[in-house]
Amino acid sequence: MTTQHAEEVQAAGEHAVDAAHGAIEEGFNAGEVIIEHVSNSSLDHPIVQLPHIAGIDFSVTKHVMMMWLVSGFLFLVITMATRAYLKQDRRIPSGFMNGLEWLVQSIRDSIVLPNVGAKFVNTWTPLMLTLFVFILVCNVVGLIPMFETLGLFDRFVLGNSHESESLINSVLHGGTTATANYNVTAALATITFFSIMIAGTMAHGFIKHWKNLVPSGLAKPVYALLIPIELMGMFVKPFALTMRLAANMTGGHIAILSILSLVFLFAEIFTSAAVGIGVGFTLALPLAVGISALEIIVVMVQAYVFTLLTAVFIGMAINVHH
Amino acid sequence: MDNPLVQPDPGLFIWTILTFLILLGLLAKFAWGPLLKALDERQATIRKSLDDAEQAQQELAQLQEKSVQLIAEARAEGQSIVAKSRAAAETVREDLHQKAKAEAAAMVTAAERQIQQETARAVQQIRHEVVELSLSVASKLIKKNLTAEGNDALIQDSLRQIDASRPS
Repeated sequence: MTTQHAEEVQAAGEHAVDAAHGAIEEGFNAGEVIIEHVSNSSLDHPIVQLPHIAGIDFSVTKHVMMMWLVSGFLFLVITMATRAYLKQDRRIPSGFMNGLEWLVQSIRDSIVLPNVGAKFVNTWTPLMLTLFVFILVCNVVGLIPMFETLGLFDRFVLGNSHESESLINSVLHGGTTATANYNVTAALATITFFSIMIAGTMAHGFIKHWKNLVPSGLAKPVYALLIPIELMGMFVKPFALTMRLAANMTGGHIAILSILSLVFLFAEIFTSAAVGIGVGFTLALPLAVGISALEIIVVMVQAYVFTLLTAVFIGMAINVHH
Repeated sequence: MDNPLVQPDPGLFIWTILTFLILLGLLAKFAWGPLLKALDERQATIRKSLDDAEQAQQELAQLQEKSVQLIAEARAEGQSIVAKSRAAAETVREDLHQKAKAEAAAMVTAAERQIQQETARAVQQIRHEVVELSLSVASKLIKKNLTAEGNDALIQDSLRQIDASRPS
């Protein structure tokens, strides 16, 4: 991971150099560069232009593409490992399968089982597993500067210009972390939102599930207070999930990019590239590497937290304790 | 809302839901479902093997116990057989001893009786011979031929005398 991070830092730096080239005439704008590296690619220049349906632009932007890449990768790797494992006469897990099995078992036994309960454990484990691996890999991919490396290749090996319409250049714009986008996390939280309802309905029936929202047998005025609060809670739960994941993913990247921007800010202030490079090696690079290391923990923790909280909410709808 | 970080993008939102649901469906069908099933199966297999092993161990212990018991029984039986045969030998010996003793005793009595008989017969014979001898001696002595009645009376008389003189 360390080399990857060194690469990331290097590539991000190079990319910033790139951006700074264009900005040299009007001065280096750190904010713009950072936003460009964290946010989705613009809807005005999508990777694949698709028609509007019911006023919604379905064009494939960078984050959509990232999700497809992640999904395809996950599906291939996990399905192939599973099939190879299940084909054996004596099922002995080995290599990658050991890790996969550990993941399946620990998510089932330490996230789903204690929260959801033994009755529905096999119903909800697939959702939790998919949530976990999808969020985790989306997060991790954001830490790997693969497109920046591709950009360097495009610029210096293929010799395409900054403004060219090459395929590589078209996928360069925008951040790679789909889970840093509020629209993506909101969609994932929406899945949690409906999963809670489905779980409650499956366990108690449709009407009973809604009745379970508030405890029974209280005085009427209490309900006037409780029902709005509980209804609000219904929406606050996925909203919190949305914000937590997206903000965490955005925050780390902004921190790394801000620190790397110091290189160009100092170079500009002192009008000397040497000062910028000096600051880069003594301050920016060690700090950025440190934050990248921290980010490795954050991406795992956030994937875990999202999965765990989804399991907790689903468990609350199934095992009602009032 | 011109900050791209917080720009609403319904297209992306819907794409995310579609992508995720399709991934969920595919993985659930091809990976998670079979994997969870395999895990459950393996759990059952391990449980069964452990149960079997435990059972086998218990059976082994029982067999061991039984074999110990059998050995003890065999030993006790052997001992009792030895004791019994020893006792039988003793009785046989005793029997033989008794029989031999009885036989010896019988032989002694028979011999005694025979001796007595032989003695009696010898005495009788001696008596006759003494009578005849005395008779011839007497006839020679008296040189007188007596009548048969007179002889018989004399013989009887002599016998009585001998009987009386014989120590009984």
